Amino acid sequence: MALDKIKRRDFLKIMGWGGAGATLAGCDMPTTVTLEEGKEEVVSYLVPEEYVIPGIGVWYASTCQQCAAGCGVHGRVREGRVLKLEGNPESAVNSGALCQMGQSALQTHYNPDRIQQPLLRSGGALKKVSWDEALAQLQQKAGGRSAWVTGTISGHQAVLLDAYVKATQARHYPVEVVGSPVWNRVCQDMLGDANPRLRIDEADLIVSFGADFLGTWNSPVHFSRQYARFRQGPKRGMLIQIEPAMTLTGANADLWLAIRPGTEGVFALGVANVLVDRYQTSIAGLPADAQKAIRLYTPDHVKDITGVSVDQLMKVAELLKKRGNSLVLAGSTAEGHSYGYQSVASIMLLNILLGNVGKTLQANVHAPAQLAPRVGNTANLVAFAEAAAAGNIDVAFFYGSNPLYLAPQSLGLKGKLDKVGFKVALSSFMDETTAQADLVLPLASALEDWGSHVGAYQNGELQVSIQQPLMEKLYPETRGFGDVMLGLLKQRQVREFALYEDYYAYLRNAVAAMPAALNKAGGNAWNNALQHGVVALNAGSGALRPRAVSLPQPEMAAGDDGYPYHLVPSARLGLWDGRHANIPWLQEAPDQITKVVWDSWVELHPTTAAKLGVARGDTVKIASKAGAIEAKVYVYKGIHPDAIGVPLGQGHDEYGRYAKGRGVNPLSILNDTKDQTTGELALHATRVQLSRTAGKPGDKLVLMGGSESQLGRKMVATVKAEVFARSEGDA
Amino acid sequence: MSAMQLFFGRRLLSCQSLRSPGRSLLLPLGFVVALFAAAPLLAEVPNAVAPTETYSGDQVEQPIEFPHDIHAKVNKINCMYCHTYARRSKVAGIPPTSKCMGCHTVIATDKPRIKKLTEYWEKGESPKWKKVHDLPDYVHFTHEKHLQRFIFDNKDMKVENASEVCAFCHGEIKDMTVAQKSRPLTMGFCRRCHEQNKGPFDCWKCHK
Repeated sequence: MALDKIKRRDFLKIMGWGGAGATLAGCDMPTTVTLEEGKEEVVSYLVPEEYVIPGIGVWYASTCQQCAAGCGVHGRVREGRVLKLEGNPESAVNSGALCQMGQSALQTHYNPDRIQQPLLRSGGALKKVSWDEALAQLQQKAGGRSAWVTGTISGHQAVLLDAYVKATQARHYPVEVVGSPVWNRVCQDMLGDANPRLRIDEADLIVSFGADFLGTWNSPVHFSRQYARFRQGPKRGMLIQIEPAMTLTGANADLWLAIRPGTEGVFALGVANVLVDRYQTSIAGLPADAQKAIRLYTPDHVKDITGVSVDQLMKVAELLKKRGNSLVLAGSTAEGHSYGYQSVASIMLLNILLGNVGKTLQANVHAPAQLAPRVGNTANLVAFAEAAAAGNIDVAFFYGSNPLYLAPQSLGLKGKLDKVGFKVALSSFMDETTAQADLVLPLASALEDWGSHVGAYQNGELQVSIQQPLMEKLYPETRGFGDVMLGLLKQRQVREFALYEDYYAYLRNAVAAMPAALNKAGGNAWNNALQHGVVALNAGSGALRPRAVSLPQPEMAAGDDGYPYHLVPSARLGLWDGRHANIPWLQEAPDQITKVVWDSWVELHPTTAAKLGVARGDTVKIASKAGAIEAKVYVYKGIHPDAIGVPLGQGHDEYGRYAKGRGVNPLSILNDTKDQTTGELALHATRVQLSRTAGKPGDKLVLMGGSESQLGRKMVATVKAEVFARSEGDA
Repeated sequence: MSAMQLFFGRRLLSCQSLRSPGRSLLLPLGFVVALFAAAPLLAEVPNAVAPTETYSGDQVEQPIEFPHDIHAKVNKINCMYCHTYARRSKVAGIPPTSKCMGCHTVIATDKPRIKKLTEYWEKGESPKWKKVHDLPDYVHFTHEKHLQRFIFDNKDMKVENASEVCAFCHGEIKDMTVAQKSRPLTMGFCRRCHEQNKGPFDCWKCHK
């Protein structure tokens, strides 16, 4: 068969024979992956439990501890190891869903950098000691004035902590950077409920001023579920997101408006102005200064301040008026200024004017005070720093919070901590704060520990979520938080806790002894708790009482030519406030917006980038009055030209092999500005200057996605609005 | 993953799928392979074509030289008596030490190997056996389904002959003391057996 005469059919035959031969040979090659034959040990059970079959997983209910939302989880356990986490369908918070942070709790648990033994500082370095020595040291030192810095803490852990704080006359500072403290205060003042129930699913239109409710705001998994219903209803819900830098929620919006940072409240007042002027909304009942502010912000005036066109403002107002039930939210970009409270109050005013209170904003249920969450904020961080600086703290305890990483350098926390005589870290990892401690008590992981939790945001249905161990402790010298607290309480001879051998016994007794009137499901509360992972409680909710607050006209900081750009330190569902930077899965998961992995970046608008003469991957120096960081450029249209975005989470000096020395921490260069009403750190109020620098040679910005354009390939088909309206009903 | 109770892994080997252009082209080749590897079929397993390729694995040293031959051949104990999880789970499982002691508190207590076992038992420990058969992590293999097909759902199959089914992949364990790998357990090995016995042929059946 001459080559030129090979027919297509023959060609395929030859290829088929050759190809099959090659493939079959491949199938019989010795494997190139590592097999464990003759190497790995297999140890049988000595006496097997009846229900254990090797190779078959058993699912246990517990509670996620990756953020403070309190989602219920189911963990698959096989041969004594937890292998997979999923959402618990019976949890009212997450209804069976679980976010990537929850899924990767496994890598917090199995992390190779966990602290395995108590450590005591002697001669400047931390040295291994026994628990007996550690607790003896603690008893010796713990006589003085003490302070506890924790993350958000709730349930029976909070009960124990309160008891210890009371017994030692200590002060408790719950600290969180990602949260909604100003929103909660405004809700308390204007609605009479700090955490009203948000009916995203009942709304036809949501206008969100930077509230990243699908990503990082309050209870994102719960809101994502609601959002799905909001989108799927007979009248598809519409989302308008107004913020300086695009969040995950912004990326999902029907209309995304880039607003000049810090002018969100003005825009809201502008909307109110149009509602009054054009749609005859009455503002007669409002305080005089609120009325005055609304009249002041005419559309043209608002355009000059916010940079959003009059047309867009008119459109937002029109949609709010005409599109059925609406809900207006405010997130961290609105909160994070010296006048953050006024901004959020102006935004909340829209809910009152539009009659949303009682419809899309409803009264919520609340946990009994002993179990209710002590929600962290940054005002406590500031208060703790001040107390430390004043020399008012002899012993400081740190649990579930990393203040040395979170506190801006301008707060000078590191120097102030030197005045604290004895620092105790209850921690699983050598993070920045733990590395400064004099005594380190190694904690069991969340998947090895007992606990009970109540999320700050409830879904109109009150549940206490139970955390039960999904496996034996990996490191026998670690202890659960509750066990450590019980030990400390016994040291102080607090009588009501002396009976309990361990935290399990205490928790079991506490849940089983729950008053029958509280026990909604009835029956044996402890068995229910273990089986279902949640204990439903009877709880009533009142009604919201809308009340407009006085709105003194916000004073905006004048533009500073030396520092022309606003720094937006944005939280992401992933590394969160930096606590998950030691989880490789989350480092590897591309950022939702930029698709960057394992690094920090700075988002610049194309015009800003052009002005500086930089392109994607170049390095710039970002300098504020308080400090400077360097990051690689990501040029992106989803950010206001006056703003630059740097994500939270990286830039650790400590915190294990995956986190240390990677990227930068934008919190570190924040100015020492506070919200004047709540005392919260104004996280978005820092102005910066940018300059191009050389960067490290060979250091590249690694992205998992290449292009923002469809390159003309119509991967997402589009259709003109009028065509859509004709075929799909009203838009 | 040092303390897993896995006796076998649950996995296989890398290779592309074979369900590709014109399956008819593959048949003659399959025939050639069959010619090369022709061997008498094992009569004890009806409705099945036993694989015949062999492999010579390393002799693995175990903490106790466990005599499979005495148990399975001389005393005719069914494999599934000790490897009780095989019919229920993806892994066959090493029998719990309590199961050994169920007999050996009274049987052969004077033998050195049993004495060693008793020492473990009295210390409250299980011997640390070394894994003999393993498959890569990306291969899902389940004992349960194979036993279902060849033993429990197999008409005319006698359960007392179970060891002949085990021998498909593990060779004549009943002639060995400590188990030794005697089948290649490569993807080609699995694939040919699946073809001959009309097992599932989709990639995702094993690579999932």
